[in-house]
Amino acid sequence: MLNIENLHCQVETQDGEEKPILKGLSLDVPAGEVHAIMGPNGSGKSTLSYVLTGRDGYEVTGGSMTFEGEDLSELEPEERAALGLYLSFQYPVEIPGVPTITFLKEALNAQRTARGEDEVSAPEFMKLIREKAKQLGVSMDMLKRPVNVGFSGGEKKRMEILQALVLEPKFMILDETDSGLDIDALKTVSDGVNALRAPERGMLVITHYQRLLDHITPDVVHIMANGKIVKSGGPELAKELEAEGYDKYLGEAA
Amino acid sequence: MTATLTHTPAELALIDALDGATGWQAQLREATRRDGLPTRRHELWKWSDLRRAANDVTAPGRMTVTGLETPVTDGAHIELGVTASTGASAADASLVIPAGASVTLVERYSAEAAALGNWHLAITLEENARLDRIIIAPDEAAGVFISSAEITLAQGAHLHQRSLDFGGRLSRIETHVTHPGEGALVDLGGVYLLDSDRHADTTTVVHHTGPGGVTQQLVKGAAAAKGHGVFQGKFIVDRAAQQTDARMTHRAMMLDDRAEIDAKPELEIYADDVQCAHGNALGALDETALFYMRQRGIPAPRARALLIESFLAEPLDAIADETLREDLKAQLRTRLEALS
Repeated sequence: MLNIENLHCQVETQDGEEKPILKGLSLDVPAGEVHAIMGPNGSGKSTLSYVLTGRDGYEVTGGSMTFEGEDLSELEPEERAALGLYLSFQYPVEIPGVPTITFLKEALNAQRTARGEDEVSAPEFMKLIREKAKQLGVSMDMLKRPVNVGFSGGEKKRMEILQALVLEPKFMILDETDSGLDIDALKTVSDGVNALRAPERGMLVITHYQRLLDHITPDVVHIMANGKIVKSGGPELAKELEAEGYDKYLGEAA
Repeated sequence: MTATLTHTPAELALIDALDGATGWQAQLREATRRDGLPTRRHELWKWSDLRRAANDVTAPGRMTVTGLETPVTDGAHIELGVTASTGASAADASLVIPAGASVTLVERYSAEAAALGNWHLAITLEENARLDRIIIAPDEAAGVFISSAEITLAQGAHLHQRSLDFGGRLSRIETHVTHPGEGALVDLGGVYLLDSDRHADTTTVVHHTGPGGVTQQLVKGAAAAKGHGVFQGKFIVDRAAQQTDARMTHRAMMLDDRAEIDAKPELEIYADDVQCAHGNALGALDETALFYMRQRGIPAPRARALLIESFLAEPLDAIADETLREDLKAQLRTRLEALS
């Protein structure tokens, strides 16, 4: 479903210099599977999530990335979203003045229009969002507030998952979804993610720690260091990392 | 004073158009005869060069004002349409809001190509009167329109003003308020949104003359490439105006590196027991928010419009009349969608 082949990517730093971050990363995530990417800070995990979704300043300098056979590198972020790529942000962005409910309706209908589908009517949308909000324990009151404004870290992550439940993407990238969550919030968010597991949907779970993977059991775990995948294995690899740390992989990648 | 002043065609046209005028229009004629049109050399016009903006004006024109016949009584809704034809023109009017009355005044301006329109309004609010003044200056790429108002409040009077300006070759909304304190309240708000080659100038002076006055001002703006926004705000607080509480905020967004926004917030305070503050902030569109919205599937132009709208709409949210509030917000939305 998602195929990344020898991907090289550079990022423009604040002083205007180009810094290579991904250095020949290869990864295949078939439909129906959940893959985890674990790695130390600075290994390029977040860069991978941004280059896949098309953020400005993240330039592909080599290799390829395709989604269901379609080359992603030339597509605008909104075009990738309409194909079904969804990023749950590590730091969800606050948008003052735009109510969450308005934002989500705009997003859903923009995606549907881009795919040549009919827009969802206001009553249909309300029914949909009520049902999904209930599933995650989000009040309608929260949905009327501006996107992420004044929400706690846990509430923001819960809203990210709620947005995914409404938009029903084909592929989800979860970037450090566990950061800033207490144990109850972690459970709610993980339940939401598990509800989205489906034979036709792929997921990439990016995390620094193993604890999220206690709740969302991956099919495959990849270890990333210095801009590439250095080892892949089953869920037991995550436990091994938790016990032994990243040090030995840092040596291998250098 | 300068005997050597050579009038431009626009100045001659304005003097000609005001031949035989009395009152404010006669003052305008004499000022133009004496000093010409203001240029960058005049402190109050340093970012809005009127002489240059009017350099395509060559003949007298006509200013048409509709709606002045509406009686100014409690509950009145007065709609003034002020239109400047091609050429130099001026008009003025005065209104008295009777004691205790509540009145809504809507002014809609327009200026044709190569127009130099000068509109002046003198307004007196008697004791405990309330005026909601709404100004709509639509997108007129080719015309110059200058609005000025002298507003005097009595004790307990409330003035709520909101302006929406899409700019012109040069558009200026100038408001001078005399604020007696003593339970009177002044609330000035404005929004400007400027496409390329549009110029909008919001200039206000609030003169606090008596104790305990409250003034609040929030002006927000955004300018695209080659748009030029100007904000000049001044609060004067006399020695007699102790315990004045006056706050001024101007916030603007540069939508392109080639936009220009100039701001001059000023406080001139002669009393020692007051609370006065001014804030001025210029920024750019939040690129992180833009990416977030696009990642959710909202196309870039729509995401940009939503972000700018949510930034600009705040002063308009306080318009008391719901129909007017929605009208202005809809105009803002329409203009945003067409923004280049």
